[in-house]
This record gives sequence, structure tokens and C-alpha cells, in this order.
Amino acid sequence: MLHIDHLYKNYGKFQAVRDLTLHIPQGDLFGFVGPNGAGKTTTIRMVCGLMLPTAGSISINGVDALTHRKEIKKQIGYVPDFFGVYDNLKVKEYMDFYGSMYRMHSGEIGRIADDLLELVNLSDKKEVFVDTLSRGMKQRLCVARALIHNPALLVLDEPNSGLDPRARVEMKELLLNLRSMGKTIVISSHILSELSEMCNSIGIMDHGNLVAAGRIEDVMEHVFGNDQLIITLEEGREIALRIASEYPKVKVRSAGEHEIRLSHTMTKREIAEMIGAMIAHDVVVTGFHKQEGDLETLFMCVTEGDGGIGSGISGNGIDAGNEGEVGVEGGTGGGESAVRKEGSRDVVKSDC
Amino acid sequence: MWLNPIVKKDVKVQSRSMKICFGVLAYELILALVFFFAMFIIQENNTYYSDNIYSELVGLYPVLAITQFVILGVIVPVRTASSISGERERQTFDIMMTTGMTPFSVVAGKVMTAIVQSMLFIAASLPIMALSFVVGGMSWSYLFWFFAIALLISLFSASVGILCSSLCKKSVSAVIMSYGFYLIFFIGTLVPSILYEIYSINYWYNGSSVQSGYSYGENIALTLLINPAVYLAEFVALVMTGESIWDNSFDMTTVGGPIRFLADGNHWIIASTVLFLAVSFLFLWLAARRIDPARKHRRGR
Repeated sequence: MLHIDHLYKNYGKFQAVRDLTLHIPQGDLFGFVGPNGAGKTTTIRMVCGLMLPTAGSISINGVDALTHRKEIKKQIGYVPDFFGVYDNLKVKEYMDFYGSMYRMHSGEIGRIADDLLELVNLSDKKEVFVDTLSRGMKQRLCVARALIHNPALLVLDEPNSGLDPRARVEMKELLLNLRSMGKTIVISSHILSELSEMCNSIGIMDHGNLVAAGRIEDVMEHVFGNDQLIITLEEGREIALRIASEYPKVKVRSAGEHEIRLSHTMTKREIAEMIGAMIAHDVVVTGFHKQEGDLETLFMCVTEGDGGIGSGISGNGIDAGNEGEVGVEGGTGGGESAVRKEGSRDVVKSDC
Repeated sequence: MWLNPIVKKDVKVQSRSMKICFGVLAYELILALVFFFAMFIIQENNTYYSDNIYSELVGLYPVLAITQFVILGVIVPVRTASSISGERERQTFDIMMTTGMTPFSVVAGKVMTAIVQSMLFIAASLPIMALSFVVGGMSWSYLFWFFAIALLISLFSASVGILCSSLCKKSVSAVIMSYGFYLIFFIGTLVPSILYEIYSINYWYNGSSVQSGYSYGENIALTLLINPAVYLAEFVALVMTGESIWDNSFDMTTVGGPIRFLADGNHWIIASTVLFLAVSFLFLWLAARRIDPARKHRRGR
């Protein structure tokens, strides 16, 4: 459905997006996440034809977005992060205005607008002026507007920003409804918990790179690798690390002063044996539990904070894949740690 | 018939606003004031027993027409200068550019809205304008020419405004830039002719001998083809006297080049009209190019 290949966007010497390769299949609800300035909006704007890439290609249903803009416009519905309104325009007229921009007949617009307003639960607001609607209603109206020409791809840039909790829930339900109808949706958001409930695939961007992409469960497995075990301790950190490293099925992910994170393929009995060995060697273990992977943890794992070097898997040309596979071209794969120079920045690769 | 949706929407939105009512009211008030002032001047210059009072009243036509052209020239760029930048400020511009509208149809829609609004003002002024026709002596075709020139001025002013709007992110900057463009057209086009006059005076003052053959220096006045003030002066001269302002300006026995042809009859106003139309469409095209996100791609990366 949406194919992005080796996409770059440079602003002078600054690379906002670098070598982004992403394939989103038909019917996916794809969540685009990343910290501020990661390049999400730039990518979305390039997909929607609002910005030209420096290099690379974008195609939707096999149609090149850069050379066939007129056709592409018919295939995309765009919802920006800010909903601008026209004063003195009613909801019905608003839909009519945008419908006529696609040269649709007034009768057709009226029929489709009625259906869409019902879908977004604004049927009773047809004669209401747009600027008097609440922000949540405006955002839902904006989604209805973006669907007026029945696009194959709906792109939403931070649709939930500034919405109250109720409006967010309504928006989520609306998007899930659209997904069940078979629409392909790309949504960028900071609200990871909501994305994890809605999306079946995600792409995580950081500093212009797509650092992880694919089906959520696949990315989780790829990033977190095997089962996660967190051991908290009071004393004996070095001994505990030594013991853990003696087990071939264990990999140390991180080691804090009072917390060690491990990934492993051990059985419960083997875990018990290892913990027992630590205790036997005077390590003061105060607790241990299995780490459940969620999107927020994943996000924190693969992106860098503003302050310093974080950790993340990094790769160019990550393919979300049609079969839900996650491939990191030229990447190191899970399990190994590596530090690679990328421009002037160190990208520390390690597994979470 | 497909009507540009931007025109349809903008006209609808404007008609619901009180701003347009106040605008028409202010327009009418200014015209009424000018009318009464002109009447006062005419009355002062003529006694009760004068036999030329009616011919003097005919002078109301150019006064009212020029007043309206000037008002249009002032308000239309404000209207269009804030159109594209206004969409950007409202953050509706991006949405518009993702729809089926081409950049040129967006620009054309904005310009057409401004022209429709101008025509509303012109139509509203008809009762006052009609007073100059009451006393007779004026052909109804003058009313047609008045409409035609108003349309041209609206188009030209709107195209200047829309170009500036596409160049600036803020509406205020776009409006200021529009008036800057006006200065270029009003004053800038005069400068070459003024410089030439100064040069000519010095030339004769220094006792230089008369040049034999045709002189081509007067062709510098061709820059005035795009001067709106000269255009209006030519229009008034043709309407009131039937003669071009250039008729007696040059010695046709010595002047050569295109100015010799243009200074004859109504050639100047025709050429000027064509030039104004060409510049207007050039500005529209540039504005459309400017807002087109794909323009760099076509140029080649």
C-alpha cells in the first residue's frame, strides 16, 4: 500500500530524515512514534505531498507520489495536528467545501457527508458553525473531512494533541472503527499507550532514523529479544553479574547499582538455580520479576534522550514487511551490542 | 458548471459577516462625500446664469470613477495579501494543498473572490454613479468601460496582493509588500521618464545642436504603459475629450520607435490593457508556483 524507499530530507547540512525505508500493507493501522524532532512530521508531510524529499521515493498502491501528485491526492486523506477553522461556516458547508475541492457532485457530497458525519457522531451538528464545536468534535470532523473522497490512505499527524480524555477515547474508537472497515491508517502520536491499543504495527523514529518498525509484537520480540528478568539487590552486584554471565542462556542487558536486567531463554527451574547461586554467594537479592514489554518501554529502549547517550537498536532500511517481519538491513540484530559512528553522533546499540 | 469552491466558500463566509456591510457603507460614504465635494466645486465655479453648468456636471463621471478605482486599488491588495498567508495563519493551507485543488486554482479562487467583492462595491455604488448620467451627454457605453476598467484594476491589484501573500508568511508583511509593489508601479515606472526629461533639458540648455533623423529617447516613456496612474489619466482623457494624453506630447515628425505608434489614437490604452493583463497573469502564475510544494521537484533535484 504505502512504500517508502530510501527517503532523505535535508535542511542544509541537517538531515531531518535519513534513509527511511518503510512498507505498510493495506489495512494496517500504523503508529508513527518518536521524540520531538525525530522526523515524523517531516515524513508525513512528504508522504502527503506537502514537502519534497531530498532523495528517495514514495508510492501509494504502486503510484509514484512524486511524479503523479494529482492521482496521489485522491488516495490520501490528511489530518494535521492543528485544526484550523473558517469562521461563519457550518459543518455541512465545511464538508461540501472540501468535497467540491475533489470535484465531486453536490448530491454525492451530501450523501457521503451524511454517512461520514454519522460515522464520526456529528450528525446532529450539521447546521452548527464549525468554530463553535469543541476541539474533540473539530478533530472528528477533520477526520470525516479527510475521508470525503474515500481515500485509500488516511494520515493523521498527532490527532490527539490537546484533546481531553473523553475526546481521545472517542477518537480512538473512531480510528478502530475505520481500521475494521479496512482503511489503511498512519498515525503519529506521543501517547504510546493509546497507540499500543490501536495499532497493529509501529515505526519508531529517532534523530531522523527509523530505529524500529513492524508488527508491534515482532518489534517487541526483536528489541527485547528473549524473556526479560529484573533482579533487584542490595549488595554483591559484581558477584551477581559474574554468576549470571556463567549461564549461557543469559545475556545481561543493563546493570544498575541495585538492579540487573537480563534476557534469557531459561526455564523457571534454571532461573531459580541462578538466583539460588547468587544468594549462596552472599548476594543480597531483594527481589526479582519478569519484565513485561510494552510500547513505552520499547520506545525508551530504542530512542535516545535529549541529555545523553541512550540505547537503541538502530538500522537503516527497516522493513515493516508485508508478513509482519522486522528486518534490520545492515543492523546487528538482537543480542549483541555495538557502538557505531553515525555522522558526528554515537549511536549506541544494545538490546534492552 | 464547476464553480471554484474557494470562491463559493469565501463569498458565503463573507456575506455572513458584518464586515462586508460596514465595508460597503464606508465605500458609499466616501463616494457620497466626493460627490458632494465635486458638486460644491462645480457650483462655486459656475453662476446661476452660466450656460455650461450641465457640461460641467459631466465631470462628475471621471471624479467618481477615479475615486472608485483608487479605493479598489487600495482595498483589493489588502484582501488578497491576507488570503494565502491567512490560510497559513489559520493552518488550513496544508489541508487545502492536499486536496484535489491545483496551486493555480487556489490562487485563482482567491483572486476571483476579491474581484467578486470589488464588483459588489461597484454595484452598490451605481446609484451614486448614475447621478453623473442624469444630466445627459454621457453614453451608457461609458458605464461599460467603467466596469471593464474596474475589473482590470481589481484583477491587477489582486494579483499583486496574491503574489505578496505567497511570498510572505504573515498577512501584515504581505500587505506592506503589496504597497511596496504599488510604489514600484506608480513611482518606479516614472523614474526613467523623469531622468530622461532632466537629461533633455540639460542637453538643450548646453546648446547642443538639433539631431537629424528620428529621436528614439522618448521611447523611455514606454515604462509608463504599466503605470496605473497614467492608465487612468489616459482613460479619463479618452472618455472626456476623445483624445489620448499623448496626442500632443511628442513631435511626431521627429519621434521614432514604438512610442510613435502607441501615442496615436487609442493604441496606448489597448497596449497598456494588454500589458496589465499579462502582468496580472504572470503574478498569478508566480504565486501558484510559489505555493506549489512540488515546484523544486519539477525543476529537478
